[in-house]
Amino acid sequence: MELVIALGMNGIVWGLIIALIALGLSIIFGLLDIINIAHGDFFMVGTVLAWAVFEGTGNYWLAFAIVPIIGFGLGALIEYAVIQPIKNAAALSIVATFGLSIILQESVRATYGAAPSRLTAPIETTIPLFGLEYEVYRLFAAFISVVAIIAFFIFLHRTKMGTWMRAVRYDPETATAMGIPARRVYQITFAIGFAMAALGGVVAGPITTVDFQAGVDVLPFCFMAVIIGGLGNLEGTVAAAVMLAFFEGVMASFADPTMARIGSLCLMSLVLLIRPHGIFSGATR
Amino acid sequence: MLELNGVHAHYGKVHVLQGTSLEVHNGEAVGLLGRNGVGKTTTLKTIMGLVPATGGEIVFDGRGLTDLAPHRIPDTGIGYVPQGRGIFPTLSVKENLEIALTKAPPSQVTDYVFDRFPRLKERLSQPGGTLSGGEQQMLAIARCLVMQPKLIILDEPTEGIMPILVQDIRREIKAVNDTGVSILLVEQNIKTALRLCSRIYIMEKGTVVHEATAEDLKNDTETLHRYLGVTV
Repeated sequence: MELVIALGMNGIVWGLIIALIALGLSIIFGLLDIINIAHGDFFMVGTVLAWAVFEGTGNYWLAFAIVPIIGFGLGALIEYAVIQPIKNAAALSIVATFGLSIILQESVRATYGAAPSRLTAPIETTIPLFGLEYEVYRLFAAFISVVAIIAFFIFLHRTKMGTWMRAVRYDPETATAMGIPARRVYQITFAIGFAMAALGGVVAGPITTVDFQAGVDVLPFCFMAVIIGGLGNLEGTVAAAVMLAFFEGVMASFADPTMARIGSLCLMSLVLLIRPHGIFSGATR
Repeated sequence: MLELNGVHAHYGKVHVLQGTSLEVHNGEAVGLLGRNGVGKTTTLKTIMGLVPATGGEIVFDGRGLTDLAPHRIPDTGIGYVPQGRGIFPTLSVKENLEIALTKAPPSQVTDYVFDRFPRLKERLSQPGGTLSGGEQQMLAIARCLVMQPKLIILDEPTEGIMPILVQDIRREIKAVNDTGVSILLVEQNIKTALRLCSRIYIMEKGTVVHEATAEDLKNDTETLHRYLGVTV
């Protein structure tokens, strides 16, 4: 029973981190019509940058402040160099971001190396929880993810740029005719998407391995959350990510992780059969 | 005030505007009529920079518009009410009104807008998509007015509006024009255009083929029939 609780709790923590990353994927898809195959690698770059900050300064906390900013800058640069030239060509975006994924992975392999490593959590204590000694860092990771997700929604609904993002998402032409710089909104959206995935990387760094292929596993999970939540439905994405990860966590307590992933995929197929537009479809877009 | 000289525009390889020329003077209300697909909406979109002009020039208050980034064009003093109204349905009425404002308008502008459209004031927090068609059209006009434009371009403002509300919309456009704001109106509803505008251009195949005062056009049954297929 303790194992089920532990893995279920780990699932929720992991689900909140995935929700943070998948939100980035969802806004990029919703606004730019870009199917971002490199999104998992944005997360991976976040973990590697967090590792680099820790190696360089010995202080992991610094990574929480620095890495999202670097991610934002990289995102803005990539949007300008890769995404802008293929705007309005959704199919091409798959090829382009697949290429980007390879470039990011190989760049990390060439610099960081191919051997995975583990980071020590900046909080190493445990506390008793549901009869278990539970790692405080995991609770902290869940807390940071929730704060970041709430901050993102506040940004989206309470700031001028957030309102612009919602307007451009619905009708870029009219938004432009109202004086909104749609071009800049696209770039900032992509940069925020990268920054959120990179922050996810920093948060997850100490509870996963730092590896140039770390994004490969994260990407399908994010896609499943976006699809089950309803394409373009941001609140749905968050809820679906947490549900899926909890489900996989509990499954993993009595089956191996591969079977758990198969279970998640079956669950997604079932959802798509019953509600083709996702569980939470119809709320936004 | 606004001048189009031999403007060309393309959608891909399709040559839509083939040398369109027209003028709107200070305080004037001008109508742009024509059958479906002759390039009326494209003319308006080209003025707003949404469709790039591939030839000719567009000048507003002495300033060339074709080299400006599209999102800078509203700053020059042109307000746009697009076909289908262009209300953002998930944004509140307040957000729809404020979306384009880089700074808050003087309170007399806001007061004027709310005096004209009291129902919008009651519904500020409601999503734009929950308003009726007529209310959305009022919101689209109000959204232009808070930007204090010198010219408002309207693309079929009475399309899809209940006949009983068409009168209201006409009245609002007239009231705006009476405050000195120029109007360029594209309409399928010829009666609306003839009532509101002093001068009318008729387009065919991407170019202006006829220009007349509304007064003259009303009595020119042959022209109306030839280019618009109607009798008034």
